[in-house]
Amino acid sequence: MSEIRKIHQQLMNKEITCTKLVQDRLDLLKQNTHNTVNSLLDETALALAKKVDAKIESGEEIVLLEGIPFGIKDVYMVQGTYTTASSDLLKKYKSAYTATAIQKLLDAGAIPLVKENCDSFGHGSSSENTIFGAVKNAVNPTLVGGGSSGGSAVNVAKDFTVFSIGGDTGGSIRQPAGYNNVFGFKPTYGRISRFGLMAYASSTDCVGPIAKSTEDIRIVLNAMSGKDVKDQTTYQSSSISKENILNTDAIKTVGYFKNFINNDAISAEIKADFLASIEKIKAKGIEVKELDFFESDTLVSTYYTLAMAETASNLSRLDGTNYGNRIEGDNLKDTYSITRSENFSEESKRRIVGGNQVLSQGFSDEIYLKGLNVRDQIAANFEKDFKEVDIILSPVTPNLPPKIGDSLKDPLAMYLSDAYTVGFSLGQLPTLTIPKGTATGLQISAAKNNDELVLQFANFLNDLI
Amino acid sequence: MTVDVLSSIKGAKPSETVNKLFDVIKNANINNTTIVENKNAVFLDDLREDVVVDSSEIEKQIIIENFPKEKNGYLVVAKVIEE
Repeated sequence: MSEIRKIHQQLMNKEITCTKLVQDRLDLLKQNTHNTVNSLLDETALALAKKVDAKIESGEEIVLLEGIPFGIKDVYMVQGTYTTASSDLLKKYKSAYTATAIQKLLDAGAIPLVKENCDSFGHGSSSENTIFGAVKNAVNPTLVGGGSSGGSAVNVAKDFTVFSIGGDTGGSIRQPAGYNNVFGFKPTYGRISRFGLMAYASSTDCVGPIAKSTEDIRIVLNAMSGKDVKDQTTYQSSSISKENILNTDAIKTVGYFKNFINNDAISAEIKADFLASIEKIKAKGIEVKELDFFESDTLVSTYYTLAMAETASNLSRLDGTNYGNRIEGDNLKDTYSITRSENFSEESKRRIVGGNQVLSQGFSDEIYLKGLNVRDQIAANFEKDFKEVDIILSPVTPNLPPKIGDSLKDPLAMYLSDAYTVGFSLGQLPTLTIPKGTATGLQISAAKNNDELVLQFANFLNDLI
Repeated sequence: MTVDVLSSIKGAKPSETVNKLFDVIKNANINNTTIVENKNAVFLDDLREDVVVDSSEIEKQIIIENFPKEKNGYLVVAKVIEE
């Protein structure tokens, strides 16, 4: 059931006012103990809600997203709001402009309520690497909320927001969606503009929605998609219709990577549940093929090598000169290094240093360029696979969410927990987490630009499992 | 140059954890002859117009507000030329 459509009807039928809708959600966000909120946008949200109410009162039609309250991961620019990336460096930074994806939602009438907690600059898989306190899981608050878009996934799961906009570089929408039992979609790279999203690893950064149904994912995806002159990697895409994704006959063949399932790293529970889901799919007459893929450690290492190189480059602009929490030193270089040493978290420093290491002379050939080479081979492997299958299905994570505190103690384990998500990021493929099939959900991927097929199969699975 | 200088982070050293990831790439048995194709390059015939777009007043005001240090109406930066 689409929450957006339900609320739209309630507003149109005057069963609720938009002001009450927004105020109730703001109250829930304010009182919540899951550490999902970096800042509330209460004044602007209530002012926008009043306008929607006035429109309805005067008998005017409202469009589907008008008056729908949503959340924004705190790495998106929204003019005049604090945009901290959950970091000390930017804790008082205000956006001068608004991200294209968010502007499109504002233009459609949706109402932003909150800038949401996340791992600092997207650096993490648990939303513990943040100055606002670790995000607590929606189902079990002793566990992590996942990351890096942890605050966004928990807000949707707890009904604090109707949908939230996360950011996914190596799994940062899909993994927290899986950990909190909601839907999270990473579209094809370039479908949604990255303009105004704080850059982590530009070649895999994606904007995407987190919501409670495939229909809400579809509505929000359509609203944000499209070519943007401010992001030259965007492309023109056509709108995905509700009718098309209800037609599930197009999927004849599904594949899965056998090495994801036949290894020691996956929990017995997730493995058994995944294989049971495969059997249900087979029983519906869909052909299922086992596929070969790169080993998990190769995928994780390739992703982190390239992501660290890109983040080292992207974050080099953060030196306290024009903005950020500058700490004065004896001279210019000293000011740069004290500002960065004191304000970046340990995890961010680890990634920046790793990135500069692989980009430096003597290392770049044997690590960075080789990493790029592996990435091309991963992409070629996907091209080959999608000639044989329509959809690739995989678990979202090999294990259940860790306890709060465990990931910070063991960063290597945290990196390896991304084993099932990073490959699809490197391939720039559309991939959706559906909260069914295993305790942390299932991941549905299709070939590049085939986002519609992903949503079609999600509807099929939703009915089946 | 050392990584602390490259990163502008005091005392920064390579991390053992990260080195383990890099070792996997170093030792990966892949076809090294593959030419890296830049599939993410943008097309030259599809660039945006080369025109200056002036920022709005509110943008200019927020940019100044974000500046870390101000003195007598001037924005203060560290001295670039030391000697």
